[in-house]
Amino acid sequence: MNSNIRIAGLVVATALAAAQAPAWAQSQTVKAGVIRYDAHSKTNGVTGVGIPPGADAQVGDATTVFLSYEYELKPQVGIELVLGIPPKITAKATGSVAFLGEVLTARNVAPTLLVNYHFGDPAAALRPYVGLGINYTRFTDVKTPYAWDVKLRDSVGLAAQLGADYRLGQHWGLFGSVARVDVKSKLVATGATVLQSSIDFAPWTYAFGAYCRF
Amino acid sequence: MHKTIRNWALTATAAAMLAACGGSDPDVAGSGNPDGAPSTKGSFTAIVSFGDSLSDVGTYAPATSLAGNGTAPYFGGKFTANSATATVWVENLATTMGLLTTPAEAGFAGSSVKCPVALSVPTLASTCTAYGQGGSRVTDPNGIGKSGGALTVPMKTQIANHLARFSSFKASDLIMVWGGNNDVFIQFGTFSAVATQIQTDAAAGKLTADQANLALFQAQSNAQAALKQAAQELTGYIRTDILAKGGKYVVVMNLPDSSLTPFGGTLPASAKPVLTALVDTFNLWLKDGLTGLPVKLMDQNLAGKDVYANPAKYGLTNNTVPACDAAKIQIITGGAITDGSSLFCNSTPGVPYNGTRTGADVNTWQFADGVHPTPGGHKVISTTVVQQLKAYGWL
Repeated sequence: MNSNIRIAGLVVATALAAAQAPAWAQSQTVKAGVIRYDAHSKTNGVTGVGIPPGADAQVGDATTVFLSYEYELKPQVGIELVLGIPPKITAKATGSVAFLGEVLTARNVAPTLLVNYHFGDPAAALRPYVGLGINYTRFTDVKTPYAWDVKLRDSVGLAAQLGADYRLGQHWGLFGSVARVDVKSKLVATGATVLQSSIDFAPWTYAFGAYCRF
Repeated sequence: MHKTIRNWALTATAAAMLAACGGSDPDVAGSGNPDGAPSTKGSFTAIVSFGDSLSDVGTYAPATSLAGNGTAPYFGGKFTANSATATVWVENLATTMGLLTTPAEAGFAGSSVKCPVALSVPTLASTCTAYGQGGSRVTDPNGIGKSGGALTVPMKTQIANHLARFSSFKASDLIMVWGGNNDVFIQFGTFSAVATQIQTDAAAGKLTADQANLALFQAQSNAQAALKQAAQELTGYIRTDILAKGGKYVVVMNLPDSSLTPFGGTLPASAKPVLTALVDTFNLWLKDGLTGLPVKLMDQNLAGKDVYANPAKYGLTNNTVPACDAAKIQIITGGAITDGSSLFCNSTPGVPYNGTRTGADVNTWQFADGVHPTPGGHKVISTTVVQQLKAYGWL
């Protein structure tokens, strides 16, 4: 966790330093589309007084609106901020407590800041890109029917993406990207007892949509 | 943006460090500890104990009158294998400290006297500060055995009675708080009744397996919620009625796992973990409620587990069979007591009212009845209590 933060900090600092020396007309890109969070969550189990051994939970997938803004630093390099309308994520109980059904709902606000490297000639129709950055995930509206108070800690982690832009006009085109985001959180649910779990959401995200460059 | 990121990173780093240290986490109830209790030797003049049958030094003795009219001599009176020399842990502690501790109240079936020892020896009036009564709960006056005539003054009122008599606690009082077992048993009884009904309904096909499991989970959660409340109430009394009223040397003992008793041994495998969970729930919120308070939290749960696992280490040879014989007690009490309660169990060799099992040794068998220790079992408790008090630097 610590080293991830350091690396991510370095990435951001480098990007910002680079941003201070513009020598040509930078383009800006706005993207809009849909994004699918494909959770591959793993937990260390759900533990607490009165919870039978083997209790676990699994986070479901979610789809939401994708929005991003990219500022070109160099012809090949841009810094991109990815936002989205926070999707509602749900978790259902598994293992020895599968009978509990849906045990958690939350919305995740997950801004991601990436430094992208765009391959190929700026004039090319198809430009693949790779990006590396930092994701911050904050969980809001966290609710469970089994506790009076539930907290899911904020997560800061690395994000990496692979994507491609396909130009259809002078200013616009289509894009598609796939990303792997490091999102880990600790769950503490307080009711008649205290439940704890460490959740590694390990999501792959798939986004596609249209972009506008100006 | 840069600054915000640094803040995130700081927060995350701090959280990671906290988790790594295993220290208290404000989000996780019960992860903190009491703090600020004295570390200096006390000059004690009294043991003031609050609790239930485990700390009862003879409240119900009049119910065991040999003459049957409430007058001495008594053949029982404590929740152990009774005899002229049988003592419970708090009496052993008093002896170690050169003090005496006697019942704060004695009686049965609606008739009781406060500080009974003072009736015959007025100079001992300051010794009747053992408030624990068999059946007592934390707050609810309807304890176990109340309908049968037991006083079951709840701990809330035990503490209030002490304040009514002495107006405050003294720095020379060693205050021992140990209760909640009966709240566990009451809630476990409620759960068991509901669970039996659920299982009956499931067997009759009225509930699916998932519905039955969910109903059982909810019944257990309800019991846990009730024990959370009891523990929070107890820590509330400790804060407002003991610490705020001059209590300085305060020990709070958590509950031992009742499933590690002969009673626990009779439970079906599916019920045992529920009983353990209820005890653990009480202990969790007890610890949570004492976080930061200047008391010592003595871990009787951990101590009891070691005794259960290593009886020989404590000089015990049997920790599963009650030393008292329910059939004998039933005969001795003329059929009135059928559950083998050690309150009515006497172990004096040769007397006609001896209620112990043939071959039982009340010094090496741990339990007198389903849940209460023999004098030997009480000695194990008092030995660990004395060790702990010495470790605190109090004795």
